[in-house]
Amino acid sequence: MLINILEKENLVEFFEAMQSYGEVVAPVRATDNAHRFQPVKGIDELDLDYTRTMIPPKKYFIQPKETLFTFNKEKEKYLEPPSIDKSMVLLGVHACDINAMNLLARVFMEELPDKYYLERRKNSVIVGVSCTPDEKCFCKSTGTDYAQEGFELFLHDIGDKYLVRVGSLKGHNIVKDHSELFAAPEKGDLDAFKEAEKTRLSSFTIEIEMSGLQDHLDMSYDDPLWAEYAEKCLGCGSCNLVCPRCRCYDVQDYINLDMNTGERVRMWYSCMLKDHGLVAGGHNFRPTSMERLRNRINCKGSLREEMPNCVGCGRCTVFCPADIDFVEILQKVRGDIK
Amino acid sequence: MSNKSTLKPVKARITDIRKMTEIENLVTIKFQNPEYAENFNYTPGQFVKLGVMGVGEAPISLCTAQSDNSELEFCIRNAGRVTNAIHSQKVGDVIWVRGPYGNGFPMDEFYGKDLLLVAGGLGIAPIRGVLQYATQNREKYGEIIVLYGIRSYDLMLFKDDVLHYFREGDAEGVKLYLSYEDQEDLVLNGLVSERDDRITNGLVTKLFAIMDEPADNTVAILGGPPIMYKFTVMELEKMGFTPEQVYMTLERRMKCGVGQCGQCIVGTGKSIKYVCKDGPVFTLWDAMNTKGMI
Amino acid sequence: MTKPRLGIFSLTGCAGDQLQILNMEDELLNLVARFHIVDFQEGSSHKESGPIDIAFVEGSVSTETDLRHLKEIRERSSVLIAFGNCATDGCVQAMRNGETTLAQRLKDVYGVEPDYYDALESKPIREYVKVDFSIPGCPVEKDEVVKAITSLLHGDSPLGYSYPVCVECKLHEYPCVIVEDNKPCLGPVVRAGCEARCPGLGLDCIGCRGPVEDGSNFAAELQMLLDKGYTEEFIMNRLRIFSGELPEDFLGGAK
Repeated sequence: MLINILEKENLVEFFEAMQSYGEVVAPVRATDNAHRFQPVKGIDELDLDYTRTMIPPKKYFIQPKETLFTFNKEKEKYLEPPSIDKSMVLLGVHACDINAMNLLARVFMEELPDKYYLERRKNSVIVGVSCTPDEKCFCKSTGTDYAQEGFELFLHDIGDKYLVRVGSLKGHNIVKDHSELFAAPEKGDLDAFKEAEKTRLSSFTIEIEMSGLQDHLDMSYDDPLWAEYAEKCLGCGSCNLVCPRCRCYDVQDYINLDMNTGERVRMWYSCMLKDHGLVAGGHNFRPTSMERLRNRINCKGSLREEMPNCVGCGRCTVFCPADIDFVEILQKVRGDIK
Repeated sequence: MSNKSTLKPVKARITDIRKMTEIENLVTIKFQNPEYAENFNYTPGQFVKLGVMGVGEAPISLCTAQSDNSELEFCIRNAGRVTNAIHSQKVGDVIWVRGPYGNGFPMDEFYGKDLLLVAGGLGIAPIRGVLQYATQNREKYGEIIVLYGIRSYDLMLFKDDVLHYFREGDAEGVKLYLSYEDQEDLVLNGLVSERDDRITNGLVTKLFAIMDEPADNTVAILGGPPIMYKFTVMELEKMGFTPEQVYMTLERRMKCGVGQCGQCIVGTGKSIKYVCKDGPVFTLWDAMNTKGMI
Repeated sequence: MTKPRLGIFSLTGCAGDQLQILNMEDELLNLVARFHIVDFQEGSSHKESGPIDIAFVEGSVSTETDLRHLKEIRERSSVLIAFGNCATDGCVQAMRNGETTLAQRLKDVYGVEPDYYDALESKPIREYVKVDFSIPGCPVEKDEVVKAITSLLHGDSPLGYSYPVCVECKLHEYPCVIVEDNKPCLGPVVRAGCEARCPGLGLDCIGCRGPVEDGSNFAAELQMLLDKGYTEEFIMNRLRIFSGELPEDFLGGAK
C-alpha cells in the first residue's frame, strides 16, 4: 500500500489539481439533515466534514432516469446515446458508499457489464474521505466502515494533515503528477492515523450483530414483526431510493406523437412499490406491504459474495418519513430487543 | 453471445403466426443477422426478452430445441401490454430479441434417466422444449412420461404435438397423459373413448394415479403455476422422488434478464435468488431452502 | 387511415383540464391533426353526434344532467378516460360526502329544499360508468396527457402511476419536506406524475393527483401526521380536498 501525506493547507491546491482530471463533484450542504453530491467550482463550496448525503453517489454511475436508446420504428433501428467521454472527480466519498459502489460494480461491471456503468466508472476518479459516525451509522457492524478498494485516493483526517492511501494506479499517477503537494509519512503521522482510527471506531453508538443474521432472517419469515412494521410503513419507496446498495430499476418505452420515434428509459425502482412483484396477467408475487417490507429487509440482510447487501450508512432510517428504524427491525429479528 | 451483456436487443422478423387458442399464438421469428442465429445456443428452460419498440419487452420461454436456430418459436399469451402488442403484429413485422437468459434445464445431467414431465397452463411451453430436445436426442434418455393438465380442449396448447404423442407416442417411447377439468368437453370426452388409460377428468395430479410407476432414476420436470407445483410435489414425494430429482421453472417479473434490475428477487436473507439469473429452473431442494419460491 | 374520433367532455368542474389541452401549445396542432374531433367545448362550438373512439371526460357527476350526459357519452365511446381529478376522485365538490347529507348541505349553503336543483351528491365518474383509464390531476399534467394519447394511438394502454410522489422527490433529489421540515406532506400516499413539483419548491404535497390506487397506507399517513402534532380534522380535510370520494376502508391500514 502506498501512503502519502497531504497538508490541509495544501487542500486548495489539491482541489485545483483534481479539477484537471474532470469536473469535481463533492458533498455540499443541502439541508439540516443532508448533504448533496453536486458539481463544485471552488473548495469553499464543498463540505468534507459531512455525515451523509440523501442520495448516494451511485447516481453518477447508474442515473436516476436515463435513456437506454432512442428508436425509429420505420427505419427498424435504434441508437444508443453517444459514449460518455466527460470525466469526473468524485471527491469526498465515505467508506460505506465506496463499499456500496464496489458491490454495485460487481453487478454492473463484472458478470454482465452494463455499458453505461462501465464507461462512467472508467471516466471517474474517486477520492474517499474519512468520517465520524453519527447516531444512525452502523457501518462497523456491516464491516463496511473501511474501504480497501474502489477508490483512487482516500484521505484520512489526522488533524492538520490527511494521510492519503493510494488505491489504484490512476491514484498513484495523480500523486506522482502533483508530488509537490504530497510528502512521505513520518512516524508521527502513522501514529496519528492509528489514533484517529481508534477514535472513529469507538464513536459508534449502535450496532447489529451480523453473525448468523441470515439464518435469523430465515427463521423470522413468519414472525408477526413484519406485519407490525407494515402497519407503520407508507410504502413510499424512499428507503430503497436513498440506499447506496439498492440497484433495482424499471424500464419503460415512450413513443412520440409521430408514432415512429421514441425512447427506452431506465429508472430507479423500489421493491417497496406494489408493482415490483407484478407479472403480466395481474398476479403479484408480493401483493401486500408486509411481504414487500419483509423482502426488503431480507434482501438487505443477505450476503452477496460474502459481502452484506447493506453498508450501514443509515440513510433508510434517517430518510424514512414514517420513522421506521432499520437497525431496530434487525435487532428484533435477532431477538436482541422485543 | 455478444449482445447478452447489455440491454441491447437484436432484430428479428416474424415469419409465421399461428393461432393456438383464443389468447395464445405460436409466433415464429427469424433473426435478421445469420451470424446471430448461428451463435444463438440455448437449452430448454431458458428464455428471451421479446420486445416491441414503443411498448417494451416481456420475458418469453423458449419452447423449442431446434438444431437450426435461424427460426425460433414462441408461445405467446396475450396477457399484458407487450404481449398484446406482439399479438397485434403481422408476419414480416420486426420483433426485437435479447437473450437467451437463465440457466435452463440441465439436459446433460439427465442423460440415461427417465423423464417425467408435468405441465399445466402456459407451463407447457418450456416443457415442450424439453420434450423436443429429449425426442431429438432420443437415445440419451430412458422412458419419457408427460402429464399435461388443461381446463378444456380449446385451451390446449401445442395441440399437434400433444395429440400426436397421446395417440402414437408409445412407438417413440413417450407416454402422454392428459387431464381436463371441463366435464362437458366433447373433444376430450371423445379422447377418453379413444384411450381411457391415458386421460382422466380432473386436475393434473389425478394422473399420478393412472400413470405407470416411474423408475427410480426418473427426474421430474415441472412447468406450470405455483399452485400446481405445490400439489404435484406432494404426489412426487409420496412416490419417493428426492428433492434433487425434481426440477421446476418459475415465473417472475423480469426487466433486465441479467440479474441487475432486481425485480425477480425471491427468498430470505439466507437464500436470496434472482430468478432470471439463478433460475428460472430450480430443483425442489432449492425451493425447500428458499422461502417464497413456490 | 381514418382518424380516430375524439370527444372531450365536461361535467361539473372548472374545465381546467380542457384548458390544459389548449395549453399544450407545442403539441396541440400535431395532436389535433391525429384525430377527428367530434366534441371539444372549450376549443370549438362544432359538435357532431355518432360514435366516439376515445372520450375524455372531465368533471364529477353532480347533477342529474351530468349523469344523463355521462351515460350517453359512455354509450357512444369505445374508450372512456376519466380526465382530471374531479372525474377520477370527485375533487373538492365531493370533499364533504358522507359528513352530512346532500339535503342538509343544500339547506345550509343555499337555503333551499332538496329538490330545488337537480343536484346529486358529487361523485367520480367511476361510480356510474365503466372507466377504461384515468388521468388524474388538478389539473392534469400535459406530459401525461400526451403520453396517454400516444399510447392509445399506438394501440397500447396508457401507463398510469402506481407509485407515490416520494419516488419522484428522490429521483430529483428534492429534500424531504416531512423529514427536514415536519410539513404535512401527502406525498407518500399520492400518485406521482407531477415530477414532485411542490416538494421541489419546498412545499408539502396537498394531494392534487389523488391517492395511489391500492397502494396507499392512509392509516400510516394519518398516524405519522398526528405524531407530528397535526389534528385529525386538519389531516382529514387535507386528504379529502382532492380525494373527496375515498374508498370506504381507506383507513384500513397496510395493503
